[in-house]
Amino acid sequence: MLKGADLKKSYRGQSILDGVNIELEPGKISVIIGPSGSGKTTLLKVLSMLDPPDAGTIAVDDWNVQFPLEKGKKLEPPWPKLTVVFQQLFLWPHLTLLQNITLPVFLRQGKEDAEKVEELIDLFEMRGFIYRYPNEASLGQRQRAALARALLLQPKYLLLDEITSSLDVEQVAIILTYLKKLAQAGIGILTVTHLLHFAREAADNVIFMDSGQIIEKGGKEVLLSPSQDRIKRFLSVIEAAT
Amino acid sequence: MAVWDILTRYHTAFANGLIVTFQLALIVWSAGLLIGTVLGILGAKWTFLVGIPSRVLSFALSGVPILVFLFWLHYPLQSMLQVAIDGFITAAVTLTIINAFAVADVIRGVLSDFPQQYVTAGMVCGMTPLQVLVYIQLPIVLRQTVPVLLMIQVNMLQATLFASLISVPEIFRVAQQINAQIYKPVEIYTALGVLFLCICLPLNGLALWLKARFTRDFSEK
Repeated sequence: MLKGADLKKSYRGQSILDGVNIELEPGKISVIIGPSGSGKTTLLKVLSMLDPPDAGTIAVDDWNVQFPLEKGKKLEPPWPKLTVVFQQLFLWPHLTLLQNITLPVFLRQGKEDAEKVEELIDLFEMRGFIYRYPNEASLGQRQRAALARALLLQPKYLLLDEITSSLDVEQVAIILTYLKKLAQAGIGILTVTHLLHFAREAADNVIFMDSGQIIEKGGKEVLLSPSQDRIKRFLSVIEAAT
Repeated sequence: MAVWDILTRYHTAFANGLIVTFQLALIVWSAGLLIGTVLGILGAKWTFLVGIPSRVLSFALSGVPILVFLFWLHYPLQSMLQVAIDGFITAAVTLTIINAFAVADVIRGVLSDFPQQYVTAGMVCGMTPLQVLVYIQLPIVLRQTVPVLLMIQVNMLQATLFASLISVPEIFRVAQQINAQIYKPVEIYTALGVLFLCICLPLNGLALWLKARFTRDFSEK
């Protein structure tokens, strides 16, 4: 299980995460929703330890660490068992999309899993642009490549930040189906999204964040009948917009 | 006497001059690139301790003509220190300093502006710091710096001509000496120009090719 306990994070004296407790079970899809600036992306950065919390505990199965770190202790997060795909994607610009996807796994295993690569290329319909460089591909194409890069590493916990934001309905459906398949295979997925239909279809658990705190969490019922007016208002705005 | 006649008749003298020029250039290139790279890396890592002082010195150096700097190190400085250093060494040191600061400026700039998110992406994909350096950072940095550094080295090769003015027997000095004997300035300096064209044009061409080949526009749509 991926577990974050009492996570706190501040930037320039302003609290961004204020005592967040979160759990992600293997084989489950948890969806984080909430208004802009509520701390969703920061929570992913903190949980992935790219931007470690000021205080709190993070545990990934048997591995765990308490923040702040003891003096002289070096943080060695269990990447890529836990990995993350950010909205900005961060594809390496000097490599083609295919090289972006295969380089990490090649460096870890000394070879690529050609069958798996082919499967992902076909699944995400990337054959037509797989030899392009990131700046020659559209945002949607880059999003698929970034997701494929993470998936090829076969993580146990996958954190996704708005990775469907530039995909068309058909692509979102393909990714949704694949995420469900990954969850069935035992991967725990924590995703930030603004797409309510995506959340409704995908989520085993829904987490609603506001002002750096989780203000409601539960099953899909959170989306259908939230207990707080703040969430009702937000959901109606999102519903109207989409 | 045509250009070709001068080149063939004085080929030994020209060859000796070229050897000195290349010796000087090799020292300036290798020492300048090495020191400049180290200075650039340290400057990017320790901005206040190394980066800013290095930039200030580089800025000051850029305001002093190479010839004035060379003369100052060769005459007044040695007079003040009461030492007499061979002109070749003075020229090598002077040009190395200029080259090193130019190289350091390029390296520091590229490293300071290196997008950290590419490193982050490598780390979350389970790559080691060494793998990130070798497969991500170095290729991107080299693509951006090699063409520029090559251009700087061509400029440094051309700047070795200034060494003739402190009596270093490099190719320009040899040309001057031959001209003093036969007084054929048009032919001799044309021959010198041809020689430098033959050396510098391929290097410039290589720099342009590298620039066109590797420094693609990375910006995303």
